[in-house]
Amino acid sequence: MGDKPTILIWSEHPALARELVGAARQALGPGGDVALLAPTGVAVDIRSVDVVFTTESADESPEAWAALLAAAVSQTEPALVLVGATKLGLQVAPRLAERIGAGYAAWATGFTLEAGTGAVAARCSLYSGGALAYHQFKPGRVVLTAAPGALTAPADAPSPERIARQSTLTAEVDGIAPTVIGVRPKATSAARLEEAHAVIDIGQGVKAEEDLALIESVAALLDGQLACTRPLSSDRDWFPEWLGLSGKKVAPELSLLIGVSGAIQHIVGVRDSRVIAAVNNDENAAIFAQADVGVVADLYAFLPVLVERIKARGMRPAWQ
Amino acid sequence: MNIVALVKYSRDVTEIKVDPATSELRTAGVPERVGLIDKNVVEAAVRLKEATGAGLKVIALAPATARDSFKDVLAMGVDEVVLIEDPFDGEAEAGIVVRLLEAAIRKLDPVDVVLCGFASDDGYSFQVGPRLAERLRRPLLAYARGITPEGGGLRVEQNLDDRMQTVTAPLPALVSIDEEAFPPRRTTLMDALKAKKKPVNVWGIETELGLSRADLESSARIADTRLTGVVVRRQQRVLKGQDLGAMADELIDALEQAGVLKGAA
Ligand SMILES: Cc1cc2nc3c(=O)[nH]c(=O)nc-3n(C[C@H](O)[C@H](O)[C@H](O)COP(=O)(O)OP(=O)(O)OC[C@H]3O[C@@H](n4cnc5c(N)ncnc54)[C@H](O)[C@@H]3O)c2cc1C
Ligand SMILES: Nc1ncnc2c1ncn2[C@@H]1O[C@H](COP(=O)(O)O)[C@@H](O)[C@H]1O
Repeated sequence: MGDKPTILIWSEHPALARELVGAARQALGPGGDVALLAPTGVAVDIRSVDVVFTTESADESPEAWAALLAAAVSQTEPALVLVGATKLGLQVAPRLAERIGAGYAAWATGFTLEAGTGAVAARCSLYSGGALAYHQFKPGRVVLTAAPGALTAPADAPSPERIARQSTLTAEVDGIAPTVIGVRPKATSAARLEEAHAVIDIGQGVKAEEDLALIESVAALLDGQLACTRPLSSDRDWFPEWLGLSGKKVAPELSLLIGVSGAIQHIVGVRDSRVIAAVNNDENAAIFAQADVGVVADLYAFLPVLVERIKARGMRPAWQ
Repeated sequence: MNIVALVKYSRDVTEIKVDPATSELRTAGVPERVGLIDKNVVEAAVRLKEATGAGLKVIALAPATARDSFKDVLAMGVDEVVLIEDPFDGEAEAGIVVRLLEAAIRKLDPVDVVLCGFASDDGYSFQVGPRLAERLRRPLLAYARGITPEGGGLRVEQNLDDRMQTVTAPLPALVSIDEEAFPPRRTTLMDALKAKKKPVNVWGIETELGLSRADLESSARIADTRLTGVVVRRQQRVLKGQDLGAMADELIDALEQAGVLKGAA
């Protein structure tokens, strides 16, 4: 550690690894080293990295990655290890912290590393995104996880061309990993929600699957894509995916929330929308505090009127 | 066979409010309860108990006042609850929580299967399972959507980011369950009556677990934590009334002003 602190990075997703490298470079300034454990079989842009570890191992279990990271830690002695918060990364990082006796926090949205002392402080998302925790760690190594897009480093962060030292790591998993006996890739959903200009986001206020025709008529007029809260996907199985804490996150021009209560676990999936509008028949619903404009009305009575008024006034989406 | 289910007494985060002027979090009076995710953990554990005839205990690190909050859990089919009386009032960092849970699991030895949630309702930090696996040196079958006893071990269907994966492991093992995979059963009046006879044993960290508060504190890696709320910056305009046409027009006007809609050219 000392004067020239090192940050060690790993994510199985090259794009996320690159984001973490950018944030690390920015936090270190020109003085420190960025070390990267490269994802298997992927060429990474190693422009601002000082040390690159590659591995030939075909074992992509969390146990194997934790072992490889522990090996990289003993070679580079990093003050901080940054791991991408995917389902895999969220298994690997706490294991690593336990193994090397490091401090740990999940869902970092920012961090600082003091050059002289190596002291780490981190800002982390808490209570489903409703709060922020500012942790000051005790002296010693720290492991953090960060979700895609959570640590936004400016694209023009100083990244002088560096000549990275490369080395190959091997690590043994000592027999406590489960045995994989079958793998089925998931069907990727056809909906490109992240690219939609408008998202028509429905919740349990929409009672029956037949009612989707009404929602679709609104979506068609607003050039919007349909999305939903978790219960409509997991309980009712109307859609393959949902928005929110454990679902997708979108940031369209408009999100129109229909029959959605506004629970924080859902709102974190839409709160980066430029404009939020809502229709709910309960004037005390939490959604009204989360929206720019809210309509207190029964959706079945209101939406046909809305459709009629949009058509009568010849309104269309600003981007069309 | 013995099963342990880990259940967190969690805050209902939907009830946490933020002072818009100071960003201060208002957590006082926020209801605490057995976590929704952890009710799924109990359901998965009860199903495994039914499939194997195993014994099933719940371990919860919680305040002693939570004693009466486990009636539902017991009614679902748990034999006994071990409540570790939390000396840190829910404020200890996860590293300490894991040490306490580990000590209780070891005290209940032999424990063949430990079940926990992929994440807790309020912590949502995904760390207890992997950290316990590391400390107990047991295989972790994470993000389970299906759990089947097989050949003296377990077969688990895992829901990963990009794939479903089937894995097996011998016992003893740890399983973390995936979101929504095990909706808790409804219990009957009979179940509730039976549950009344089942024990909730309160364990002290020193008396039952042989741990000292000072040792636990010295294992903390976080020196200090400060919390602030995330303030919502939205216009919060609310339209209400009887005239739906007028409200629709007002909504359209608002969307036009915001640059989302435009009139016929
Ligand atoms: C750890 C954790 C993670 C979670 N993650 C997610 C997540 O990622 N995504 C997610 O969505 N949820 C998530 N949840 C669940 C979340 O807390 C809420 O329970 C859920 O979002 C509620 O969905 P809803 O708004 O559709 O349903 P409800 O809460 O049932 O709300 C329905 C709303 O519709 C209104 N309504 C009813 N009838 C009408 C009508 N005729 N006209 C107009 N309005 C009407 C009602 O007033 C009500 O406000 C999570 C929960 C936990 C504990
Ligand atoms: N205080 C606690 N008591 C018992 N179990 C816990 C406690 N905290 C976490 N757990 C278990 O660990 C899981 C994951 O929690 P977390 O890592 O905090 O997101 C939960 O679903 C519980 O099964």
